[in-house]
Amino acid sequence: MSNTQTPEELRIGVFVCHCGLNIAGTVDVHAVAKYAQTLPNVVFVKENRYTCADPGQEEIRKAIKQNNLNRIVIAACSPRMHEPTFRRTVAEAGLNSFLCEMANIREFSSWCHQNTPNKATERAKDTVNMAVAKARLIQPLQTLEVPVTNKALIIGGGIAGISAALDLAEQGFKVYMLENSQSIGGHMAALDKTFPTLDCSICIEGPKMVDCARHPNITIFAYSDLVKVDGYVGNFTVKISKKPRYVIDENCTGCGECRDVCPIEYPNEWDVNLGARKAISVPFDQAVPLIYAINMDYCIECYKCTEKCGERKAIDFNQKPQEIEINVGAIIVATGFDIYEPYDMPLLGYGKYPNVITSMEFERLILAAGPTNGNVIRQSDGQKPQNLAFILCVGSRDKNKHPYCSNYCCMYTLKHAIQLKEKYKENIEIYIFYMDIRSPSKGYEEFYNRARERGVNFIRGRVSSITENPKTHNLTIHSEDTNLGNPIEIETNMIVLATASIPKKNSNTIAHILNISRGQDGFFMEAHPKLKPLDAPTDGIFYAGACAGLKDIPYSVSQGSAAASRAATILSKLNWPIEPIISTINPDKCIKCGLCVNACPYNAIKHEKNKPANINTASCHGCGTCVAECPAHAITQMHFTDPQIMAQIHAALQNNPEEKIIAFLCNWCSYAGADLAGISRCEYPASVRVIRVMCSGRVSKEFILEALHLGAGMILIGACHLPYDCHYINGNHKMKTRTDSLKNILTKQGLTPERFRVEYVSAAEGIHYAEIIKEIEQQKIQIGTQKIQEENQKLKPTIEHLLKTNQQNKQTQNL
Amino acid sequence: MFVGVLGFFEGYVMPYKSLKCDSFDVLTLEWVMQVKNFKLVLDRHRCVGCQICSLVCPKDAVKVEKQLSDQFLKPRIDIDLSKCNFCGVCDVTCLYGAIKVTLNNACNLALLAKESYPTIDRTITLNSNLCPKNCFECEIICPLQLIKVSRKGFDGQPINDINNLSPTEKQRIKVIVDIQKEYCPTCKLCETKCPSKTLKVTKIFEGKLVINSEKCLINCHKCVDICPIPNVLTIIDKKISTNNAYCTYCGACKNVCPVDDALIIKRVKINHKHIHSGTWNKTLERLTNKNSKIKELEAITSIKKRDIVTKRLQDEITHE
Repeated sequence: MSNTQTPEELRIGVFVCHCGLNIAGTVDVHAVAKYAQTLPNVVFVKENRYTCADPGQEEIRKAIKQNNLNRIVIAACSPRMHEPTFRRTVAEAGLNSFLCEMANIREFSSWCHQNTPNKATERAKDTVNMAVAKARLIQPLQTLEVPVTNKALIIGGGIAGISAALDLAEQGFKVYMLENSQSIGGHMAALDKTFPTLDCSICIEGPKMVDCARHPNITIFAYSDLVKVDGYVGNFTVKISKKPRYVIDENCTGCGECRDVCPIEYPNEWDVNLGARKAISVPFDQAVPLIYAINMDYCIECYKCTEKCGERKAIDFNQKPQEIEINVGAIIVATGFDIYEPYDMPLLGYGKYPNVITSMEFERLILAAGPTNGNVIRQSDGQKPQNLAFILCVGSRDKNKHPYCSNYCCMYTLKHAIQLKEKYKENIEIYIFYMDIRSPSKGYEEFYNRARERGVNFIRGRVSSITENPKTHNLTIHSEDTNLGNPIEIETNMIVLATASIPKKNSNTIAHILNISRGQDGFFMEAHPKLKPLDAPTDGIFYAGACAGLKDIPYSVSQGSAAASRAATILSKLNWPIEPIISTINPDKCIKCGLCVNACPYNAIKHEKNKPANINTASCHGCGTCVAECPAHAITQMHFTDPQIMAQIHAALQNNPEEKIIAFLCNWCSYAGADLAGISRCEYPASVRVIRVMCSGRVSKEFILEALHLGAGMILIGACHLPYDCHYINGNHKMKTRTDSLKNILTKQGLTPERFRVEYVSAAEGIHYAEIIKEIEQQKIQIGTQKIQEENQKLKPTIEHLLKTNQQNKQTQNL
Repeated sequence: MFVGVLGFFEGYVMPYKSLKCDSFDVLTLEWVMQVKNFKLVLDRHRCVGCQICSLVCPKDAVKVEKQLSDQFLKPRIDIDLSKCNFCGVCDVTCLYGAIKVTLNNACNLALLAKESYPTIDRTITLNSNLCPKNCFECEIICPLQLIKVSRKGFDGQPINDINNLSPTEKQRIKVIVDIQKEYCPTCKLCETKCPSKTLKVTKIFEGKLVINSEKCLINCHKCVDICPIPNVLTIIDKKISTNNAYCTYCGACKNVCPVDDALIIKRVKINHKHIHSGTWNKTLERLTNKNSKIKELEAITSIKKRDIVTKRLQDEITHE
């Protein structure tokens, strides 16, 4: 296929990793190494126990120098794991870092075919063959450098965002802080005390909030929304929409005279709707920035506030939303969490019985500055309860609601119990219904013991239902005491539900704007759960706090600081290297049709009439969609060229092609999902051969046709979920329209539709991926080898015709 | 007719925080918070199905729903819980006092206390000393049964039968006329009937009610049927004629009239205490016309000028 001949002699070195027993335990690594030796151009093969460890890397460096190797294939784990490591190793030996190719024989062989070691070895051999085939054609690439804007954006002004902002600002970087609500502070500002020290929450957070407002390097955009983020690491352009407060920021002195004359009150969200606030007000007295805001949903426009404000002229009823554009080099996402309201758990009676409340509501009740001035009272009669029960794990650790543990509910419930015991001494009886008390951090177990010593009754058992006496509004808990093995019933005056914490309501929008993905539980997904817990899959975006998984206050603070230091690694540089996996246009081949301009999701391609199109390298994200769309084959994607992928297809289908499933998986979702299937040890058939592309939009028609021409059994394209999950905005849409039309043609010519599938797999759906492969294998067996061969024979003329026309196009262009 | 209460709850999402209960007798909206309880009660029997509340509501939360069957002529008033902010403008403006807004079951509206809205003047004066001892005219004539006339002897004992008393005793009788002012739409029927001319009523609204006889449908007398005040609209020779003397200008007739512009209501003036409030200006504009708003603004400035002048004069006097 390939016309390009590398002038130098190819000397390929293959390194087969044992990964301890991770690979060697299933795959016959010696056989793989032996097989590698038989491949053309391979001059050196070496097995390593741990290739990624220092001695393993040293072996590679030594081999490159001693054997004069110029292409390296590493058969080990997923390239998503260690590709950067090995690129560095290769570069240290003086070779271009892009002359290194990985064969994934761990996640894609040993881990997912543990019960069929022979087939796993078979697959590993093919994977190495495919990698070697690609390695023959890879070219050295020069890393690009882009200038860095040394400012940061922090999305979310909770305690995680605040600590990140203060750390970055102290390091001398300009920080923009974006907050959705009227004041920064987040959930912590609404709490009464913090565990296990029983510090007053706002007393310790308040000064930090004020520091944020006063710091010359920090600009707060409160009551604002994130609209759009463009650009790439080091150079993000962010659009923010500032919601109208109807109060001019600079003129408002925060005196509160307007609030005093306002006749309208509405439920205060800050108080979980337990109390009321005026139509012109601040959510709480310590709000930062201390600027009043009018809620137009409730204001009746009597203009009493305007009258009172008088000369200060701070009130402006004609304010409109304001769009602001800022440039930043790094983004820290600290959007936090929401609290689940168990209206859909009717057996617990929340919303039905007035004396069943959530923990957040309790927090506002016991808070001295809260709506009841710190008196815990029942809603039904305003009396102090004589006895009170807490129920843990409401909505969390529950397969029907949220399967995860919400991390801090045990601790805050213990805190509530101790607070009540300290406030009311002997006058209150407390029951805690729990599944397990989880108190793993510093000082937490001691705190639990303290609650025990105060005489709190702990009852181990899940509550089945709560019933109310309609006269007294007292509640009866029906549960089981698993320690005694008996069902029990307890009558209480009041019940507090420790409800689950859930992903922030607008997480989806944020994920879409920032091009980051969410895990199965809805929280943002890290680039790597252990080694990159703060990094988003998109370079230059970091997480802090509960948005990427629930965390308590000390953990969130340390994550804020950690994210700040991760961001500083970018902001402190003048230039930042970006991967040169971008597209380039050959102006001689370009037929000036302009199709690529529409294909590019980033507007990186510019095309003037009667002139060849031109790609702006800094804006190109390297998805390769334009390459697949180009009718003249004038565009090449570096490191994922047509000849390279064709070579992989040929290598994959060398033997028994009709037995094989060829899968094109996009790097960000499906490939990661397939990796996860391996990591989670999901067993699935070993007949699949994976070709990695950056985006499903890269998969051009020729790849499919060539694979069928070579006799492939089944074809799968794995993409990110429609409509918004694509890492490159809309590559998956482009792929869909392209494959739909191709599938139409092929099925008309006699292709069984099941043989060519498009599936959407996210990075979190390992099990789903395994299910899909199992299903395809099943279908393959059902169709049968003979029928596949017959179909392929029948399709041959059509495919050859289609490929030929393409070839001709290409040649005419070459002339 | 209707057995029990046609009650239903709306908004399962926050049943104990914001709550709506609608029945044949009463519509209740409520915000229940731990320490505050905002409540709006619409008495469907007092409500005559007029336009006023839907016109004045600053949040456009009130909808007048026309009845589908002819059996019930009176339109149903519905209030949108998601829009209502319990400001109490409807309470203050309702001519028939059908809507009551309370905070923790007390009637002191912040709206009035903060002077964001004026109190509507229902000036009803009466010198009951001049009342004839055996007169019940006002009690009989009041179409809404808001007046109760009772008598007391000099010892304070209520007296039912007057005929058995001696003339001296009759002289000593004290007549007590109890008028439920908050529900009075000031139709003036009692004033005209009062034999001693001691009862004086000032109308809340002043204006004009006209029937365009060219457009008015023959045999349609919906306006006559719905009008809560007798003798305002009457059928004479199959044509409907109006009597502006008793009209309260509530607009109930306008709501049921099937033809546009067949019935025209123009309110010109509202009796109230002048205040400076955007909400009130809006009400004025919606109920009457732009001119009244301008007049209101002029009135306020003139009050202000007057205050300044009086203050200055007082200062001068004290100075001297």
